[in-house]
Amino acid sequence: MTQMNGSESYVQAARALPPRLRREALSLPEQEQSRAEELRLRVGWPMTALLEGEERSLGGPPVEEEELEQLVEIASHASLHTVLDQVRRGYLTMEGGHRIGLCGTAVSREGEIHALRALSSANLRVARQVKGAAAPVLDRLCPGGRLADTLILAPPGLGKTTLLRDLIRSVSQGEGCTPLRVSLADERGEIAALYNGRPQLEVGRRTDVAEGCPKAQGLMLLLRAMNPQVLAVDEITAPEDVQALITAAGCGVTLLATAHGEGRTGLERRPMYRPLLEEKLFRFLAQIRREGERYVYTVEELRT
Amino acid sequence: MIRLTGAVLVAAGAAWLGFQAASGLRKQVRAIREMAHGLSVLERELELNSPPLPRLLAQGEAHSQGPAKELFRGCARGMDNLARESFSALWRRLTGQLTGLGQEGQAILAPLGDTLGRYAGPRQLEALSAARRRLEELAAGLEEDSRRRGRVYQALGLSGGAFLVILLL
Repeated sequence: MTQMNGSESYVQAARALPPRLRREALSLPEQEQSRAEELRLRVGWPMTALLEGEERSLGGPPVEEEELEQLVEIASHASLHTVLDQVRRGYLTMEGGHRIGLCGTAVSREGEIHALRALSSANLRVARQVKGAAAPVLDRLCPGGRLADTLILAPPGLGKTTLLRDLIRSVSQGEGCTPLRVSLADERGEIAALYNGRPQLEVGRRTDVAEGCPKAQGLMLLLRAMNPQVLAVDEITAPEDVQALITAAGCGVTLLATAHGEGRTGLERRPMYRPLLEEKLFRFLAQIRREGERYVYTVEELRT
Repeated sequence: MIRLTGAVLVAAGAAWLGFQAASGLRKQVRAIREMAHGLSVLERELELNSPPLPRLLAQGEAHSQGPAKELFRGCARGMDNLARESFSALWRRLTGQLTGLGQEGQAILAPLGDTLGRYAGPRQLEALSAARRRLEELAAGLEEDSRRRGRVYQALGLSGGAFLVILLL
């Protein structure tokens, strides 16, 4: 796997665009290409780029519905049947791990979204891996050189997933700690971004990925099938996820997970997360906060 | 002697034309059957593995012959350039080049490009299966026709040649 710089990732993501929109996207100066987080396409409006949280119009003619259909065709290699489950959930992952969020008129069957027709918007998110993101906390999370049970906690947008991905990669590769077999339940494909069975973002050579299945089921499947030493999951959001983690902890695997939250007290206040703390599932709580332009990591020991 | 040689040549030429016409029909039947077989390969592969379209077409190419192999290979190559030509346009264009299938065969095949890769697997299977069945029916009809018309063409060639020989001699 080749590590790309910011603007190379942007150019790769822009390849999914139909020719006219691709030209527009590539007209952005290289420095801005390397900072652009998303390209947003809305039918009837010019395409925009998201730079540091602000949308900037690229000034071209309005996006046509046919162009959104073309985007899906190019990104899926004209193989919608292979990504239909993703599309039903409103996104599709393309080569390089870039993700296209889709919006349109939902076709429902038996209360479930069966398909999206008449696409109205698309959001092309440029995937960028930050290698070394785990370096500031790795030593503290690996007492004696071996990763301990860790919960990463931060509000949205502060880089929980990025930190989790790099921790998985480091542990799986044995960079700065003992190498361990990691099993990853990647329900939404945001961590490894599997494409044709291959992770598009580096998660290490000893990592097995279960993508697309609900987290709780994915965790149990991995526990049964892959004999992991570390079980990793992004965003604990349901009581079933908590229960699955409690079961896994009983099997002797090291747990690595993330959760949305503002701090330990916030976590303790939310009933869903209480069992995690009561059962002392995690030894470390790694928190991320922003101070001005920089991210600050703190590690708190929950059990000794 | 020269007149005799000329007469024999004319007779043989006319007979050859008759046989050629008959063989053209047989070739069309074979091409349509090969195409139908190619579609059945896609159906099987889609049903078993549901692979992405480029891989499906590569499998199709590997296990097909004649026009099917040609079509699948062309489409698989063209898929590197979907930004310039959509799959449906690519399929239609390449189908239009398969003159060996005849217009009816091409007309059955062309709309498949609007379904392949654009819908869920079962819908694609239905379309493939329907096109294959129609091609098989067309081949059966043409085969019967070719037997009848082939004999007529051969007889016409031979008798036309004989008639010319009589005239010339």
